[in-house]
Amino acid sequence: MNIALTKPPRNWDPVVKLTHWSIVAAVLANGALTEGGSWPHIWVGYALAGMLALRLLWGLVGPSEARFSAFPPSLSRALIHIREIRAGKVRDQPSHNPLGALMVYAIWGTLGIIIASGIAMAGLPPRAVTHEHYAVEQVAAHDDDEREGEESPLGETHEAAVNLLYVLIVLHLGGVIFETRRSGRGLVLAMLPGRR
Amino acid sequence: MQPATRSLERKALILTLVLGCQVLAAIFFALDVAGDIAEAGLGWHLSIELLATLALAAGVVVGAIHVRSLIERARQDQTLISAARGAMGALIRARFAEWRLTAAEADVALFAIKGLDVAEIAALRGSAQGTVRAQLTRIYAKAGTTSQTGLIALFMDELIDPAATLS
Repeated sequence: MNIALTKPPRNWDPVVKLTHWSIVAAVLANGALTEGGSWPHIWVGYALAGMLALRLLWGLVGPSEARFSAFPPSLSRALIHIREIRAGKVRDQPSHNPLGALMVYAIWGTLGIIIASGIAMAGLPPRAVTHEHYAVEQVAAHDDDEREGEESPLGETHEAAVNLLYVLIVLHLGGVIFETRRSGRGLVLAMLPGRR
Repeated sequence: MQPATRSLERKALILTLVLGCQVLAAIFFALDVAGDIAEAGLGWHLSIELLATLALAAGVVVGAIHVRSLIERARQDQTLISAARGAMGALIRARFAEWRLTAAEADVALFAIKGLDVAEIAALRGSAQGTVRAQLTRIYAKAGTTSQTGLIALFMDELIDPAATLS
């Protein structure tokens, strides 16, 4: 307990927080609110792509704990970490713990697939920006096509990746709860806006 | 947390929000220009638009690097202050022991070094002002000084090296 008190509280930097929570908001919006294929759905998707791009850039130029080098995707390190969990050892992690790192890359990869298949379906929508009416008509027509015919392979990929993403999100939440109970570190607090 | 650190962190936060908006704008223009080029080919107008979009993207990278430097300055600030605090605490303990201050006197002396006046110290300790004044007199005598400023200066004098500070 003493050790926990003397350690400085870890807190993610504002860029990590901004990208994390805006991606959460975008996934929620596109999963629950917008209609697949509609132009709000497409633009929320592009915004999500932008936030993911910013996080990846931050992985190259950010402070040490936000960089890719701080949490390499490594199975062997993950196995060691699992052994430590079994042994009840709690080690201070400056960045994501090795299991968390695997989760981060899995989520980013899945988001990448969702974005790529989404862009491949929607195409580049310059008109969605400049002539909204045209875009809505076009999208509506596009929607009908999809309903009539069978789902395209791209659409299936998009859908499957989204379902995978939901599974990963549930695992991620489970991991955060488990690790918070195990190590007693304010994992959740570290990602919340504001200082501790 | 220190006000200076706080202000650095606030700057980093504001710049991060601006950076987020810049990223969204960059995505918007990149898509717009890519769509236009796909439709009309790369003409003069679109070449310039493309360059502007690339410049915006470069701005995002430079902005991100700037945010990083702000974050690191804030952290360095905090590290320096906590290091200085640790050193100052050790120095104060050493001097108090050397002067053989009683526990009560050490308490009063600490408040005095922090810059509190007699009335404030009395209120904090729940004692009479006369008691505090008497304690301060004994503290000054033990430390070989005559005033609160003198007491503070004893520590400042040891801590500040003009040659290292102003170089």
